[in-house]
Formats: sequence, structure tokens, C-alpha cells
Amino acid sequence: MSKIGNIPVNAQNGKKRTNPLAGVFDELVQFCQSRSMFMLHYCTGCGAIELPPAMTSRFDMERLGIQPMVTPRQADILLITGYVSVKTLKRVILTYEQMQSPKYVIGICSCTVNGGMYWQSYATAKVLNEYLPVDVYIAGCMPRPEAVIEGLRRLMGNIENGKGIAWKDYFQRYDHYLGNQQHLFGNDWQTPTDIIGEARHYGLETEQTCGEHSRILEQHQQPLEPYKMRIKL
Amino acid sequence: MTSVTELLAELLLMPFIAFVVGLAMVLMYRKIAARLQRRIGPPLLQPIYDIVKLYGKETQISHGLIHDIGLVMAVGGYVAAEIFLPVPGMDGIADKGGIITLSYVLMVPSLGLALGVGQCANPNGSIGISRALTAMLAYDIPFIIVVFGVATHYQSTSLVGMIEYQQIHQWGIFEMPLLAVAGLFALQGMMGKQPFEIYVAPAEIATGPMVEMSGKYMGGLFVMQTFQLYTAGVLYTSLFLGGGANWFEFLVKIFIVVAIPMSVALVFPRYRTEDMVRIMWKWPVMVALIGIAFVL
Repeated sequence: MSKIGNIPVNAQNGKKRTNPLAGVFDELVQFCQSRSMFMLHYCTGCGAIELPPAMTSRFDMERLGIQPMVTPRQADILLITGYVSVKTLKRVILTYEQMQSPKYVIGICSCTVNGGMYWQSYATAKVLNEYLPVDVYIAGCMPRPEAVIEGLRRLMGNIENGKGIAWKDYFQRYDHYLGNQQHLFGNDWQTPTDIIGEARHYGLETEQTCGEHSRILEQHQQPLEPYKMRIKL
Repeated sequence: MTSVTELLAELLLMPFIAFVVGLAMVLMYRKIAARLQRRIGPPLLQPIYDIVKLYGKETQISHGLIHDIGLVMAVGGYVAAEIFLPVPGMDGIADKGGIITLSYVLMVPSLGLALGVGQCANPNGSIGISRALTAMLAYDIPFIIVVFGVATHYQSTSLVGMIEYQQIHQWGIFEMPLLAVAGLFALQGMMGKQPFEIYVAPAEIATGPMVEMSGKYMGGLFVMQTFQLYTAGVLYTSLFLGGGANWFEFLVKIFIVVAIPMSVALVFPRYRTEDMVRIMWKWPVMVALIGIAFVL
């Protein structure tokens, strides 16, 4: 991630833009972003069973330009469909951080809202919002495909009006999210993605990006090393 | 002087037309898929929305210089191929290149993609690209035999000459039906559609070569796909269906040609790589060789 300096900065924050048509382009891009969303469904719980009817012939998400994608690099929406155990949450965060902004998170089912029927479980993360910035919650146990489509349409409306900016919150208030993650996973928690470096690079850093929790991260951070190639014969 | 400006205008216009027609072909593919699955399918401008969105991503991950250059090669190889493909009213430099040059240029995108994916260092990508290159080896053998047979029949390697001959006499598909069948078979592999799409395999190796592509890189691949469909359609039309006397006839022909592999694709699962090589080197090669025997 240290090589990220090669990539041209998309200067939007605070800098004056000289192109008189910049506003028009922004609106065009926002419109296209709302009409074309690739969805990575991280099917953790029972809500996953509502997605096949929403995608296939009965409710046909492709009408709205939403189609499934299989890698986080290409995806725009991360669908969390059900309860998130502590172990799963690590994977969800790794996945989320690999997605390219603008990215959106949708929490489906009551379990992502407040723990649902797993409220008393010691192994389940209750409120997804504390660990990732969630754009839209779709409550229900489980929500029907109509409700899923309704939630996606609401997300489309938010993006078109320029309100789908929860992903910036993750960069701007990273210390808050990191603190909650460390509370669950312990102080030696780290991910391969350098969020603070990305926030600096893309001009999204605020005073809440770094703080006491990111200092703990720096103390425990170990440099990433590539996997050793091993061939078993 | 006018001929130079005319040529330059053609060189700019031909890839642009290819892009627009290719977008329509991508839409057609998704619409055919939707209709076969009893869905409504995407709206009219969906391919454009996808590409604009991918280029409008605010963070981009580059894995290094070769990653960037590989993508440029992948798109650029097809842009170069478009100016060798004659369309009604425009020949570009087709009369100077001929079909031998074209079949070399058509290999550039796969090699560029292999370079770019190599630097991503993702094991899924490496598996995918090794399968893609094996697939290229599989479909190129029947494709080259078909090209050889067609060139022997017309006594020419110029696509412009072939089209003129077919429009005066009769279409190539009637004069050498066996080669046309083998060519359609190779086309299925060239377009990377089922049953020969093992190298993308979304569920097994996470779309293979595309696994690390994000934002503008994925956008580049979407653009490449539009060129790929157009090239496949125009090439087959020029070889066997007599090109087009006017744009309407030409567009109808290339859309029908592209629709055949698409419709076949949607009712098939996929072959494994070694099965693909086996089937490609057995049936279309055999049919094409018999076809050549008739032509000679």
C-alpha cells in the first residue's frame, strides 16, 4: 500500500475545481453510480435465502442495474445478510476495506440492526453500524424480497441525491470504528489495508482519523509479508 | 491530401463505431440472458451506466506499471484490430493488412491481459490467465485452419477482396459450408462464452483474470468486451456472409452472427480446460480439414 502514491489524486475535498462543467459531470457520474451497482453478497445468515428470488425471474434486480459480482474489488455494495459472529466480522471488515470507493453497506435482517434473536449471544456482533458505516438497514426477520428491493431503491435514491457518502465516514472517523473493532478483537487487530494511508492520499483525513486507537494499532502493527510459496510433493 | 484526412477520419471513426455497436451487443447479450430466464433484463443504457460508473470510482488500486500497460494493450489490441476490419463505406487500412495481420493482432489483447494480471499476484488471477491462454491455444488452431482454407478458396488474404468476391458471386457460407461450421465453433471459444468460459468461472476462481481489476481497470475490460463482440461478429460476417453492401444489411448480419453463440452459451454449463482443448482440437479441426479438402 505504500506504492499508492503512483495513483493520481481525485481532488474533490476543499480544492476549487476549475472546470465549469464539473457539476454536470458529477451529476452524470452520480446518476450512473445509482443505476449500476455490483453487489457482493456476504451471506452470513438466514437472510441469504431471500436474495435468489430477488435476483431471479420473480423480482429481477437487473431491472435496476444491480447484479452480483464475486470479488470485493469489483463490488459496490456489500450485503450483510444476517447475524455477524465475531469471527465473521473480521472477514467482513477485510472484505469491506478491499472494496473501492464509493462503496455501500446494506444490513439485511434484524440481526444486523441490533443483534435480533442473538442479542444474548456472547459470540455475535450486535450493531453492525459500530464496526462499518452502514448505508441502509433493511429490518425484518427475514425481510421479504419486496423489502430488499425497496431498500435497494432507497439506496439508489440516496446515491442520486449525493447522500450515499457513508464510505467517507470510515476514512474520516476511522479511530472510532477501529476502537470498536479493537474492543472485540483485541489490541493486536490489524488488516492488510492501510486505511489511514488511503485517507491521507485521497484527502479524506480529519482529526478523528487518527487517535488513541490508531496509536495502539501502530504499536502492534507488523509489516505485511507475502505468503511463502510451498509446493507439497 | 484529401485521402490522408479521409484515412485519418476513418481510423478514428471505425473504433468509435465498433464501441457503440459493441455496447449494443453487450446489451443484447444481457437481454437474451434475461429473456431466457424469464426476466425483464437491464434498461437500454445499462452498458453505458456500468462503464461510466467504473471510470467514476474515487479510489483506484494499481498494482504497478505492468498492470496499467497490460490493460492498455488489451484495449489497444482490439482498437488496432478494428481498423483492419472493413465496414460498409470504410476500409481503413484493411486492404494493406489482410487477414494474416488481423489474426496476429487479435492475439495481443490476451497477451496484454496476461501481463497485467501477472502483476496482480493474485492466485485466482494467475489460474484464470493460464486457463485463458490455454483456451486461446485451443481455439486458435481451428481458427487458423479456417482462415487458411478461406484464403486458399479466394486466392487472397485481403478481407476487402473477399467481400467484393462474395458480393459479386455468392456468400462464402454456401461455397464452403464445412469451414463456416468450424468457424462458428471457433467463434464460440474466441468470444469466451459457455461452454468455453472456464477461465472466468465466477463461482470457482472469482472471475479469474478480472479478480484484482477494480474501477477504471474493470471499466477498461468492459470496453474491451464491447470490441471483442464486435470483432468476432464482423470477422465472421466478412469471411462467410459477404460483408455488407449497406449499413443496415451489415448490422443485421453481425448482430445475428453474435446472437448465435450467445444463445448457445446460455443453455450450456462449462467444460474443463483439458476437455475444451480436446473438443476444440478434435471436432472443429476435423470439420475444417475436411472443408479444406473440398476447397483445394
